[in-house]
Amino acid sequence: MECALDAQSLISISLRKIHSSRTQRGGIKLHKNLLVSYVLRNARQLYLSERYAELYRRQQQQQQQQQQPPHHQHQHLAYAAPGMPASAADFGPLQVGGGGDAEAREPAARHQLHQLHQLHQLHLQQQLHQHQHPAPRGCAAAAGASAGGAGALSELPGCAALQPPHGAPHRGQPLEPLQPGPAPLPLPLPPPAPAALCLRDPRASAACSAPSAPPGATPPAAAASPPASPAPASSPGFYRGAYPAPSDFGVHCSSQTTVLDLDTHVVTTVENGYLHQDCCASAHCPCCGQGAPGPGLASATGCKRKYYPGQEEEDEDEEDAGDLGAEPPGGAPFAPCKRARFEDFCPDSSPDASNISNLISIFGSGFSGLVSRQPDSSEQPPPLNGQLCAKQALASLGAWTRAIVAF
Amino acid sequence: MAGAGGGGCPAGGNDFQWCFSQVKGAIDEDVAEADIISTVEFNYSGDLLATGDKGGRVVIFQREQENKSRPHSRGEYNVYSTFQSHEPEFDYLKSLEIEEKINKIRWLPQQNAAHFLLSTNDKTIKLWKISERDKRAEGYNLKDEDGRLRDPFRVTALRVPILKPMDLMVEASPRRIFANAHTYHINSISVNSDHETYLSADDLRINLWHLEITDRSFNIVDIKPANMEELTEVITAAEFHPHQCNVLVYSSSKGTVRLCDMRSSALCDRHSKFFEEPEDPSSRSFFSEIISSISDVKFSHSGRYMMTRDYLSVKVWDLNMESRPVETHQVHEYLRSKLCSLYENDCIFDKFECCWNGSDSAIMTGSYNNFFRMFDRNARRDVTLEASRENSKPRASLKPRKVCTGGKRKKDEISVDSLDFNKKILHTAWHPLENIIAVAATNNLYIFQDKIN
Repeated sequence: MECALDAQSLISISLRKIHSSRTQRGGIKLHKNLLVSYVLRNARQLYLSERYAELYRRQQQQQQQQQQPPHHQHQHLAYAAPGMPASAADFGPLQVGGGGDAEAREPAARHQLHQLHQLHQLHLQQQLHQHQHPAPRGCAAAAGASAGGAGALSELPGCAALQPPHGAPHRGQPLEPLQPGPAPLPLPLPPPAPAALCLRDPRASAACSAPSAPPGATPPAAAASPPASPAPASSPGFYRGAYPAPSDFGVHCSSQTTVLDLDTHVVTTVENGYLHQDCCASAHCPCCGQGAPGPGLASATGCKRKYYPGQEEEDEDEEDAGDLGAEPPGGAPFAPCKRARFEDFCPDSSPDASNISNLISIFGSGFSGLVSRQPDSSEQPPPLNGQLCAKQALASLGAWTRAIVAF
Repeated sequence: MAGAGGGGCPAGGNDFQWCFSQVKGAIDEDVAEADIISTVEFNYSGDLLATGDKGGRVVIFQREQENKSRPHSRGEYNVYSTFQSHEPEFDYLKSLEIEEKINKIRWLPQQNAAHFLLSTNDKTIKLWKISERDKRAEGYNLKDEDGRLRDPFRVTALRVPILKPMDLMVEASPRRIFANAHTYHINSISVNSDHETYLSADDLRINLWHLEITDRSFNIVDIKPANMEELTEVITAAEFHPHQCNVLVYSSSKGTVRLCDMRSSALCDRHSKFFEEPEDPSSRSFFSEIISSISDVKFSHSGRYMMTRDYLSVKVWDLNMESRPVETHQVHEYLRSKLCSLYENDCIFDKFECCWNGSDSAIMTGSYNNFFRMFDRNARRDVTLEASRENSKPRASLKPRKVCTGGKRKKDEISVDSLDFNKKILHTAWHPLENIIAVAATNNLYIFQDKIN
């Protein structure tokens, strides 16, 4: 009965649960959805940390190929999870795209890594700022460790509050760290920054990465990685060691939100801005120019960053040249979630396609851009589609509906 | 009062063996969802045993008086009353269907010939009066032979009706309906020791009611954040202290328990005591938040201890010590490596309940494969028993079961992979005075008794 679930499948399973809870009898169970949102957050953090690690590793490989002596490899061992699957397909859609050989992807990988590096520099800046002005509550992401990290890309910020690398200049906005501000920030305690341990400790990363190469999910790489036998019986699960001790947590500017949609009573957690960074970080995504939320989001709530679907759609439009939905770009208050409009839109040709339709029905009109892309799904590999949708879904979770206080 | 409950104890003290007594419910393999038992509760004397099911029905069993001619078999439980407590409803404002499933039943202490219980579904609590009628008034001259009411001027004689005996009839009538006080799903109700008030708890709020007043309730705990985006935990269970009418506890999805004193303020948002065991960082996983969520909290009869049930363990807390529990019992630790699969099939969200025996010397909780576990606190022993039709001969002893976690499987052991996760025992109850337990296995109710060797 052992199953080897990687972070991606865990994410899609969780989203499926959230979606199906809408149609369950008795209404949406707040408790269950809250717990699912925790799993979602945990899985996503690990998934992203793995991606960072692999990107960095490939970056090092490039450097080694360019420079003969392999001196640097050792230095970055900490960041290369040995058991990491080699294939970029493992990273999901926001990577350079399915298939292709490593060489062809390298320039893109380098590009991505560069962007990630910039992101991380920003992150460090903010953490520094944060240390001087600690937020009342924060979603910690090993702030302390990052300062002493051996390399720039030491930790994946668990909760990112980063400006996109391209966003600022293009928008003419000054690059500034996100102020935590007075607004209380949500804190599912303790928020793991799995990359911290994963990247710092090769042993731990081996422990966490070995099971993360599941037999089914990454076919080409599975052979290269250690056999996907689950962690020893004494370990609690697959990602033991992937999570730092609570003592590792520093204070960090957080933009993590748990959102309850009282229309659908779905509670989900997302880190504002974070996933959208990944979207931008992908060379595949032409929306980089637009970047993450810009001026429209300096809302009255101070530092609270919200995604507005108009923003999202703008970005999606860049990608697919689909028709823009009705919402005005950026800053427009979200219209009530339109349900069940797109539920039957895409035929269930693959689990991911159904995933898309499910997500669309959850997030309503915010996905009109994606919807228009559905018939052209042949242009892109299906996993890209579904998981890209998942990523965008996660990025926009904080914004697709306003959490209305009932009374 | 019987002593410790346990199974197969070796020499010393009372030798107990749990034996099958009865099983109620259909034998069908095909289980209708409406028949699934969702709550089990003995009344204060133990003579009545109430069950609620997903179909909104309540079935009450009554213990027969002991039969002098068969002294060895204790009184059996037979159906006493059956009634439909809740019906499915529809909230038109939110387009939500409200399930009729009975979440909890709590008996009121008996004050007269009738019995009273509270039953609740997700939104509405009802006070039911269960009374017996064994006499009927006859001899009215107010109606014609065909049953029509006679005109008053045609009634010329004064006749006093006579009470005549009749077959015993048990009637259940709803005496109070407490509605519209909860936005979220009610998970607990608890009758106060003052016998006048009770609490009802949903995911974010706890309300205090008076049993006589249905149009008003007081909110005593509210953990709903001003901004719902900041929601991090919900209330999972709540209970009043058995003796101190001002004290209540509520558990959270984060694995913490808060004790509140209603004397300190009207709104008990600030707890008086906070019970939390620090998490072991080495055991962190994707599902740490889920398995630490407390599914049930129960005070001991003495009021000195309380017990919490999370997914993998049962913990006994001393109310005087908040830093950690005094006892931790692993229920099915072998599931820790299966959390992924259990997450996929939703079993990880199962809410197991737990209960104390009358003397607080033993605790019991359920598991999968129709197993249930008993922990003898004094003897530091635990046993796994199974509720199954195979072992349902009258007075047949229950054999302890064992789950094999790895390596060679011994005879009679069950391997983890062959456990049936659809057969889960979520609800159990222990007779308040004797060693009689009621175990709900899906749609069947098993009753076991001890047999002193």
